[in-house]
Amino acid sequence: MDRYQFEDLISDYIENNLSMSQRKQVEAYLEENPEAKHQIKSVKQAMASMKSMPGISTSAEFMNNLNRRITSEKEAKSVVKSTRSFAGYTPLMASLSAVVVIAVVMLGLEFMPESSNQATFTPAMTEQQINDLPVLPLKTNDSMLAESEEDSTNYDEDNPVKRNFDDKIQLVGDKRP
Amino acid sequence: MTDEFSYSDEELIARFQDGDEQAYVELVNRYRNRLMTFVYRFVNDMEKAEDIVQDTLMKLYTHGHYYRNIAKFSTWIYTIAGNFAKTELRRKKRHKVTNLSQMGFDDREYQLPSVEPETGETAQGHFAEKKIQMAIQELPLHFRTVVILRDIQELSYEEISKIVDVPLGTVKSRINRARLQLQQSLKEFK
Repeated sequence: MDRYQFEDLISDYIENNLSMSQRKQVEAYLEENPEAKHQIKSVKQAMASMKSMPGISTSAEFMNNLNRRITSEKEAKSVVKSTRSFAGYTPLMASLSAVVVIAVVMLGLEFMPESSNQATFTPAMTEQQINDLPVLPLKTNDSMLAESEEDSTNYDEDNPVKRNFDDKIQLVGDKRP
Repeated sequence: MTDEFSYSDEELIARFQDGDEQAYVELVNRYRNRLMTFVYRFVNDMEKAEDIVQDTLMKLYTHGHYYRNIAKFSTWIYTIAGNFAKTELRRKKRHKVTNLSQMGFDDREYQLPSVEPETGETAQGHFAEKKIQMAIQELPLHFRTVVILRDIQELSYEEISKIVDVPLGTVKSRINRARLQLQQSLKEFK
């Protein structure tokens, strides 16, 4: 064991925190080095001196001062609490928030384009394109009906006309030509 | 009827968290002098030490609800006081109000905790106390904190490790080094 190893173990030796083998090593070192014995004694004295130092008390005014600080802390808290009456906002904050909201709405209305206030649609074709479309012959409903060979008004319920669809229908698997 | 003084610190802080201010007063009475001793030995200034203890106990009042019963109450309160004390020393160092390391032994001012008239014996005791206090001030901050907590406040190594938030082995090593340095300083002052 050298001096540095010994010094590392001084506190543990004094406080009896060494293993048996370590303790024997330290004691062997102490036997060989009388100055090390003296060092142990000095460290023990320093520790005892520290321990014997008187405790320090707070001054007589300490509690009064502390109570004063606590009272002002409580007062500050109660002021904050009493002003928080609008859903967690102070009146000032609530007023400012309301003003900001109103201002945003007003500005929004002011700068909104006029067209956006009316119902509008964008035509898919321009006026020119519409004009260029081919003109279809105008026919009345009557003339269109007249062109039809038959319509539901001519249907005779008593003598229904039988129609032969044999040559028009071909079923799946039908071998007919 | 349960005696109020039978409550543990942890029970008292729990009662305070539930709104019992009497529990707070009891904690203050238990800790103000202990903290005062710790902080005074650390900053070496009675006025500053008292301010720091006040700040610590005010923090207990305003932030008591932050304490969780995962550590001892004493660990928590010493940590707060230690942080305030370190901040004060850093501030003091920045402003360069005093620089003890540049002064000789006789130049240094010491504020004694007592103003009672001294008899021969008490004067000798105060002289010895001055020497030790000066030797403590010469220690680096990380040595000073741990050695005060161990040899003056008599806290366990485990608790000190939690207060200063360093591993147990480091705490033991620092305390050992601090004691060796103190022993050397006290030998020089003789």
